[in-house]
Amino acid sequence: MIEIPRLPLAEWIDDGLDVLTGQFAGATKVVSDLMETGIEGTVDALMWLPPGVTIVLAGLLVWRLAGIRTAVFALLGLALLWNLGLWEATLQTLVMVLIATLIAVCVGGPLGILAALSPSAYRIIFPVLDFMQTMPAFVYLIPAIPFFGLGPVAAIFSTVIFAMPPAIRLTTLGIRQVPADLVEAADAFGATRRQKLWKVQLPLAVPTIMAGINQTIMLALSMVVIAAMIGAQGLGGEVWRAIQRNEAGMGFEAGIAVVILAMLLDRITQGIGRRGKDQPNT
Amino acid sequence: MIDKYAVAALAALAAVGTSALAADKGDVELAYVEWSSEVASTNLVKAVLEDMGYDVKITPVSAAAMWQAVGSGDVDGLVAAWLPTTHNHYLEQVSDKVVDLGPNLVGTRIGLVVPAYVEIDSIEDLEGAAERFDGKIIGIDPGAGLMSKTETVLEDYDITDLTLVEGTGPIMTAVLGDAIEKEEWVVVTGWTPHWMFAQYDLKYLDDPKGIYGGEEEIHTIVREGLKEDLPEVYAVLDNFSWTPDQMAELMVMNQERRADPLKNAKLWIAEHPDVVASWMPDNERE
Repeated sequence: MIEIPRLPLAEWIDDGLDVLTGQFAGATKVVSDLMETGIEGTVDALMWLPPGVTIVLAGLLVWRLAGIRTAVFALLGLALLWNLGLWEATLQTLVMVLIATLIAVCVGGPLGILAALSPSAYRIIFPVLDFMQTMPAFVYLIPAIPFFGLGPVAAIFSTVIFAMPPAIRLTTLGIRQVPADLVEAADAFGATRRQKLWKVQLPLAVPTIMAGINQTIMLALSMVVIAAMIGAQGLGGEVWRAIQRNEAGMGFEAGIAVVILAMLLDRITQGIGRRGKDQPNT
Repeated sequence: MIDKYAVAALAALAAVGTSALAADKGDVELAYVEWSSEVASTNLVKAVLEDMGYDVKITPVSAAAMWQAVGSGDVDGLVAAWLPTTHNHYLEQVSDKVVDLGPNLVGTRIGLVVPAYVEIDSIEDLEGAAERFDGKIIGIDPGAGLMSKTETVLEDYDITDLTLVEGTGPIMTAVLGDAIEKEEWVVVTGWTPHWMFAQYDLKYLDDPKGIYGGEEEIHTIVREGLKEDLPEVYAVLDNFSWTPDQMAELMVMNQERRADPLKNAKLWIAEHPDVVASWMPDNERE
C-alpha cells in the first residue's frame, strides 16, 4: 500500500481566507456599512409610522395583491405581532428578507435565463447551485464577519447564498418548459432572440419564476433565524435569545411570529404568481 | 421598476440616517455572548459609557462570532472573555490582533455540578455511581474549554462508565431542571457565575487532582487601536472590574421574568456610585 498523506485542505482554505480578507475586507466593509445604514434607515422609517397605520396599509396592499381572506389574516396576524411587542423585530426581519430576496432575484434571474439559453452555462451553474444549497450555512457564517462585520449585512450575505438557488433553478425551468411549438412560431415570424425571450418565453415562465421567488423568500426566512448567531437581530435574535436563556415560551412566541410572516409572504407571492398574466416589468 | 424606487429610497434614507447619527462623543460597539453573567456585565458597561455621552451598541452573538468580530476590528471590545480555559482556543486565533486588558472579574469556577441531594461529593465517586447518572455527563458546546477539561478529567480519574454528552448551555440547564423536577441524579458541566446556582440548590463535585484548575477569570478584550481612537473608552474598559458578589446582585435582578438588563444596570449604578467612580478614566491603574 502506498501511504497517501492527508490533504491539508483546511490549511489551504484558512490561507485562502486570510488572503481574501487582506485583499477585500476593506472594500466590503465600506459597502457593508452603507448597506447597514440603509437597512436601519428603512426600519426606522417603517417604525416612524404608528404600527396601527402600517398594519392597515399592509392589509390594503395584501387585499389588492392576494384577496380579501389573506388580507383579514394579515390584519389579525400583524396585530398579534404588535401586541406581543415583536413589531420592531418583525420589521427588521422583513427588511432583511426582502433585501436578500431582491439581491437573489437580481443576480439569480439573469443567471437562470443564461442557463436556460446556453447548455454550457447550465453545465457550469447547476453544480455550483448544489454546492450553495447543501454547504451547511454555519460554515460561512463566521468567516463572513471580517468582510461584512457583525449584524444584518453578514446575515444577508449568507442568506443570499442559501436562498438564491431556487430563483435560478425555477427561472431556468420556466423558460425551458415553454412549449416548443410557440418558440417555433416565434421563429417563423422572424422574431429576434431578444424578442423571443421578452415576448414569448419570459411571460409564459412568470408563474414558475414566481414559484422560485416564493421558495427564495421561504429559505431566506429560515436563514435569517440562523443568522442571529452573528448578530442579525430581528425575530431570529428573539428566538436565539430565548433559546440561550432556556425560555421556551418566549422562543415559541418569536417562532410563531416567523410563521405568521412566512405565511403572509407566501400567500402574497402566490397571489402575484396567479395574476402573473400581466407583462413583467423589471 | 419597483426596484429602482426602492434603491432611490434606500439611498435617500442612507443619507438621512448618517446625518442623524451624529453622537455626542462617538460610537462604541461591544459584542457579548448571551450568558446571564455577560448580559449583566455588558449592559452595565453600556450604561456607564452612555452616562459619559457615548452611543453604545451591544450585539449578542455566538462565542466564535464574538471573537472573530473583535479580531477583525468590527467591534471595539468585549467584557466576556473566559480565560485561561473556556475561550483560550478563540484567543489563540486572534491574539496578535487584540489587546487583553486583564481580568474584570476573578473568582469564577468551572467543574462538574450536581444537585445538592445527590449523595456523592467527589469526582472520584462518579464511576461507582455511573448507573444512577444513567451513564451520562451533560455537557455544553463542543468548542468550550470546559469540555476539553472534562475529557481530561474522565481520562485522569479513569472514568469509563460515563460518557460526556455534547449539547449547548441551554440544553444542559434544561436537562438539569428536568432531573431536579423528578428528583433524579444528574451531573452536568457547570460554571460560576451562572443563574442556575440562584435557581437550584447545587454543589460542585470535589476535584482532588485539581484538573479544572483553581479559577477562571473573565477578561476584557479590545481591538487594536482603540487606545488611540477612543482613549476614554479604553481607560474605562481597562479600569472596569468588580466582584462575583456584585455581579451576582445584578444577575439576580435580571432573573426576574421580562427583566430589562439595561434598566437593572442603571439601578445597580445608582446603588454603587463608589465602584463606578473607580472605573472613570482619570483613575490611572497599573
